[in-house]
Amino acid sequence: MSEIMVEAPHSVEEYVKGYEESGKLRGFRCANCGQVTATWGLACSRCGRFPLDEAELGSKGKVVAFTLLTVPGDEFLNDAPYAYVVVDLDGGGRVTGWMPTVKSETELEIGDRVHFVTSYKPGVQFAKDDSAPSPR
Amino acid sequence: MRETWVVGATQNRFGKMKDTAREAATRVSMEAIRQSGLEPKDIGYTFVSNCFGMTEHQGHIGPLVNSGLGIPHVPSATIESACSSASAALHEAYVHVAGGFADAALAVGVEKLSHLDTLTATSYFATGADYPFETKNGATFPGLYATLASAYAKEYGTRPEMFGAVAIKNHANAARNPHAHFQKEITMETYLNSPIIASPLRLYDCCPFSDGAAAVVVAAKEFVKSPVTEPLVIRASARAGSVTDMHDRPDLLGLPSTRTAAEKAFRQAHLEPKDIDFLEVHDCFTIAEVLALEDLGFFPKGKGTQGAVEGITARDGRLPVNPSGGLKAKGHPVAATGASQVVEVFEQFNGLAGSRAVPKARTALTHNVGATGGSCSVHIFTRR
Repeated sequence: MSEIMVEAPHSVEEYVKGYEESGKLRGFRCANCGQVTATWGLACSRCGRFPLDEAELGSKGKVVAFTLLTVPGDEFLNDAPYAYVVVDLDGGGRVTGWMPTVKSETELEIGDRVHFVTSYKPGVQFAKDDSAPSPR
Repeated sequence: MRETWVVGATQNRFGKMKDTAREAATRVSMEAIRQSGLEPKDIGYTFVSNCFGMTEHQGHIGPLVNSGLGIPHVPSATIESACSSASAALHEAYVHVAGGFADAALAVGVEKLSHLDTLTATSYFATGADYPFETKNGATFPGLYATLASAYAKEYGTRPEMFGAVAIKNHANAARNPHAHFQKEITMETYLNSPIIASPLRLYDCCPFSDGAAAVVVAAKEFVKSPVTEPLVIRASARAGSVTDMHDRPDLLGLPSTRTAAEKAFRQAHLEPKDIDFLEVHDCFTIAEVLALEDLGFFPKGKGTQGAVEGITARDGRLPVNPSGGLKAKGHPVAATGASQVVEVFEQFNGLAGSRAVPKARTALTHNVGATGGSCSVHIFTRR
């Protein structure tokens, strides 16, 4: 007998491959409460609906909170300082990411417009709309 | 449900331990049991917390502790809930005793990190967050709380000095606590001159990496009969959760699990915030104490810094908060912290708090958060 397991529209691995290789931020949309999120799950973390629908998230958005990290995570040793950002994406969904080109607290403000940039570095990278794309 | 008491609570000096985690956990457990007037054979269940034992090549620490206490036949389990592990262990001990599954139970938390360098320790701390959706995007534990602090400061116009007041207050308390990692006061100048770790958080906004162990002995009132200590009556033992990823919550201006656990706890205890004499809250970062005071219902939204700035939460203020020095200055050995908060209440109620004694303390609340609020425990204690 074959194994029967519930499926999500995509896996965590497919999400990572999505932004690393095809420049797409994959996420989930809840048909009940409308929550859009990148965070993996089988059911909606807000209302509990199962299953969730696949959603391609927008690539532009607005910074709602950030920090400039001078003591980095261990995968980011050569990149500090950098900004860790929470971004509200146009079209729905709030995601986190990082901005290697932001080197000072004064270079970024809550409310700034940013866009997702494809990268071979770890994680989801953003750049300011008025800045040059970050080096690949 | 049986009336359930804390009859013993002991910790070691936080900071750097020579002991391995299993040695320290066993030592504080034996001390707490002896203090309670019970014997190891009275323990019906041991709940151990130890988040990073794997760094010592050691898991499955419960049977080691029980064997070291001479009670190898007693069941044990390791309870992991990130920084709220020990309060989760206490909750399980309470549930077992109050529910009649054990007459007495032990909750012990221990952590040892001083054998690791700062970078490695930082990375271990970050494992409490969501790896692919937070950590892999550059988040560290200070970074996540700094993100909350940036949203908070933007919303309410908080100045660095207002966060600084929390750090100064907790250091002043820890200076009077012989268990504390940092037994020294700091000035606003020292605070403001300390380097930025994750803006807007400076070094002195952050708790240290500490080693430490703390144990709590819980027993049914009917089992103890004539206690040798002033027991803490457990009036509430409440836990709650919230979505792990902060950015998936409705707002960044508080921790939902704190709000839920507090509501549950006050309902269980039939008490209100105004009935509480002092608090031990989870201040891994200064912003965390500010949010806790608001989420627990002691200050209105956006007013949490008032407590430290106006002296309300000072040791001799109207509502002392973290008389122990808190995680900020007493130290934060991750899986021991929740039990250590109860040690402070125990020492306050038993006249063991020395020069940091809170006047006329009869009712206390402890608040312990796992990571950035994925988990939270709130306990309320009163005297008999």
